[in-house]
Amino acid sequence: MMLKHDLRLALRSFRRNPILTALTVSAIAAGIGAAMISITLYHARAGHPIWWKEHQLFAVTLDARGSDHTGEELMRHPEYPPDQVTYRDAQALYRSDIPKHAVMMYRTARVVDPGKSGVKPFGVTARLTTADFFPMFDTPMRYGAGWGRAADTTPDPIVVLSSRLNDKLFNGANSVGRSITLNDRQFRVIGVADRWMPQPKFYDMTTGAFDVAEDLYMPFGWATELKLSPAGSINCVTPSAKVGGFDSLIDTDCVFMQYWVEIPDTAALRRYQQFVDNYTNNQKQYGRFVRPTNNRLYDVPAWLDRNDVVGDDSRIDVVLAVVFLAVCIVNTVGLMLAKFLGAAPVTGLRRALGASRKHIMHQHLVEVVLLAVIGGAVGVLLARLGLWAIKAMTYVPGPDDGPERRALADALAHMDYSMVVLAIGISILTGILAGLYPAWRIGKAAPASFLKAQ
Amino acid sequence: MEIRHMLSALWRTRTGPILIAVQIAFALAVLVNVTYMVEQRLAAYSEPTGIDIENIFWVSTTAYTPDYDQKSALESDLQWLNSLPGVIAASASVTLPQVFWGIGLPFSASADPHAPNEGSRLYMMSARAVETLGLKLASGRTFSPAAVAPVSADVGTALGKWAPEVLITQTLADRVFPNGDALGKNLYVGLVNRSAKVVGIIQTMQGAPITGPFSRWGRQAVIVPINPPGPNGLYLIRTHPGRQAEVMARVEKEFVDRVPGRYVVQIQTLARTAYNTRNGLRTSSIILGVVTLLVLAVSAIGIFGLAVFNVTTRTKQIGTRRAVGARRFHILRYFLVENWLVTTSGVVVGCVLALAGGVIMSRLAQAPRLPLYYLVGGVLFVWALGLLSVLLPARRAADISPAVATRTV
Repeated sequence: MMLKHDLRLALRSFRRNPILTALTVSAIAAGIGAAMISITLYHARAGHPIWWKEHQLFAVTLDARGSDHTGEELMRHPEYPPDQVTYRDAQALYRSDIPKHAVMMYRTARVVDPGKSGVKPFGVTARLTTADFFPMFDTPMRYGAGWGRAADTTPDPIVVLSSRLNDKLFNGANSVGRSITLNDRQFRVIGVADRWMPQPKFYDMTTGAFDVAEDLYMPFGWATELKLSPAGSINCVTPSAKVGGFDSLIDTDCVFMQYWVEIPDTAALRRYQQFVDNYTNNQKQYGRFVRPTNNRLYDVPAWLDRNDVVGDDSRIDVVLAVVFLAVCIVNTVGLMLAKFLGAAPVTGLRRALGASRKHIMHQHLVEVVLLAVIGGAVGVLLARLGLWAIKAMTYVPGPDDGPERRALADALAHMDYSMVVLAIGISILTGILAGLYPAWRIGKAAPASFLKAQ
Repeated sequence: MEIRHMLSALWRTRTGPILIAVQIAFALAVLVNVTYMVEQRLAAYSEPTGIDIENIFWVSTTAYTPDYDQKSALESDLQWLNSLPGVIAASASVTLPQVFWGIGLPFSASADPHAPNEGSRLYMMSARAVETLGLKLASGRTFSPAAVAPVSADVGTALGKWAPEVLITQTLADRVFPNGDALGKNLYVGLVNRSAKVVGIIQTMQGAPITGPFSRWGRQAVIVPINPPGPNGLYLIRTHPGRQAEVMARVEKEFVDRVPGRYVVQIQTLARTAYNTRNGLRTSSIILGVVTLLVLAVSAIGIFGLAVFNVTTRTKQIGTRRAVGARRFHILRYFLVENWLVTTSGVVVGCVLALAGGVIMSRLAQAPRLPLYYLVGGVLFVWALGLLSVLLPARRAADISPAVATRTV
């Protein structure tokens, strides 16, 4: 009842002073719009791609670096071990049966020949991985399933396709049992992954934290069988590492593989850390792992943090937007104060006619909060506009971008419902912050001071 | 002057001026720090590359049949590309300039693998690399045709075999050979344990626009003459000015059918590539700039609003002053000086905020500390902005007629 009355008074006050009202709404809208843009961008980058088991999956990193490593003094965290492991170390780690699941993998490039006349061969990205990839990362399957560990060592001529590639080659039909040609060799399709795009692509961020998943998956044994070079990052971490062809790559201290384990309980995690440390300590006798033991297991949130997925720019933008919102709030305080004091005679009259000090304060606060909520609504629209503009500036369409890459650009500038709820919360908070002092000030004044004739 | 009166008047209605001063303080802190950040980004964005970007385009291919022979494909492609009318020079390469990815190796002046070394970008290119990129040599010569190493099985093998001659940029030469005697010296390559003679020094070659502490690495480059291995092909083609579109169209049409068993992955102008690479720098600069403009605009609105409010509530007093002999100029001066006092108190606090912000930003973004002349420029700008915002209301105040004093409002 009282609130309804206050709202009516607020609307009347807006009509009395439309320019000041518009200025206030636009200041609040600009502040909330900028805050929402930066928070949305931050939120999208600071995602939880596999939240349901993010504390059970661990990236394994070993400090295989030699005593001196070029450029280390420039790094922000020179103490971090390299983000990937060598072929030799991955093979050794894979022997442990402590983890529930373990995956060693890397990315490579292949060429698909559709074998149809008129359709030219095209390049695809392929992930060479051991069998546990699919159960470990809960990869959703549209058709069929992944393979068992035995298929890795044979290796079996089988592949799992992404739905993107399945759409391209088989028009989205169930292709399980069909075969495809990868660089002159036949592979049988045993599964098709459903649309799957974890963001950030936490399990391998060496080609960018926000990237689409590979076009297909092959059993790991094909790595050595076909001598497939990695299509990602290769980092040789000791001065005595020998760069050469594929045979020397898998025999030297160059890291190029991702290694992940799933360990559900802490006791097993401690045993696993012990196992890893024992392994590297044992390697010291061969002149490897010359630095003090520094092997780190990162769960998914720690891994995203270690790789600085959020990035400086997102953080700076959030700080800047919050400062801007603060300026807008201070501005609103000033404008509101001017407005309330300008209408003081009316307020004085209401006080003289019996309105309590508390009621006057309440009434003015309601007015500011209403303004802030209107400003917040305009701000959300501004933010959508701004995010659209940012997407248009940052997304450069490639020659064969599928819907996934476009969806990726959308996802990074997407304002979901949680963001809208947050915007409403920020608006109300803004209103209260901006309104408290002016409302208190106008409520505090003695009625007589306003009633005197000037 | 009437400064003391002015201060006491300000103190009596202090809330409004304090709010404005707070805004000014924030605005100054944002303005100074953001200008500095954007300046650093733009410096990387527009740094000279030393490469004739505007007249180069590239085409990449991938082979997929076992009977594809890289050696003969390379020879025939290069011969064909170099014979096209409008082409200055064409070379094969393993990686592109003006992108962030590439091959890097440690280089040193000594054969000892534990001697101090310097990381550098590596370009494995066929003959005519210097002409193709349009590079200028500071000294020495380009590599001799005989020095170009033949095609190997893969990139790793090619690196392991290396080549007898290399070209390096001046930036790298200065780091590895601080005495300035790089030309003719042996450059040792870590991880492959090879060395080659430095036959020429490139004036400038920026591989990628890099900001922050690693920016030097954007300008450190080694070109090693090796015919790139398969199955991927990458050709850079430099044309005479104005003839790029015509040559590019011809290559796009005819290139894929020249050699069987391969397909064209992409064909693009290097200008486009370089533009895309700078996308992040450009976008973040625009975002930062827009937010700063908004902060300044909102602050200006605040100053303007307060001045309008003051002029409105003081109409009678202004009229009285005019009636007792103050000239329009005095009224104008009163409001300008009053505003200047408010702005300046904001500026003082703002300087502290700006310096604190500078420390935080340099921690966050690993950038060098904010130089002081940015602060000086920011202070001057904010003063000017304050005066401009108050000018209109102050002139309105000066226009108030002395007759107002005689009326009761």
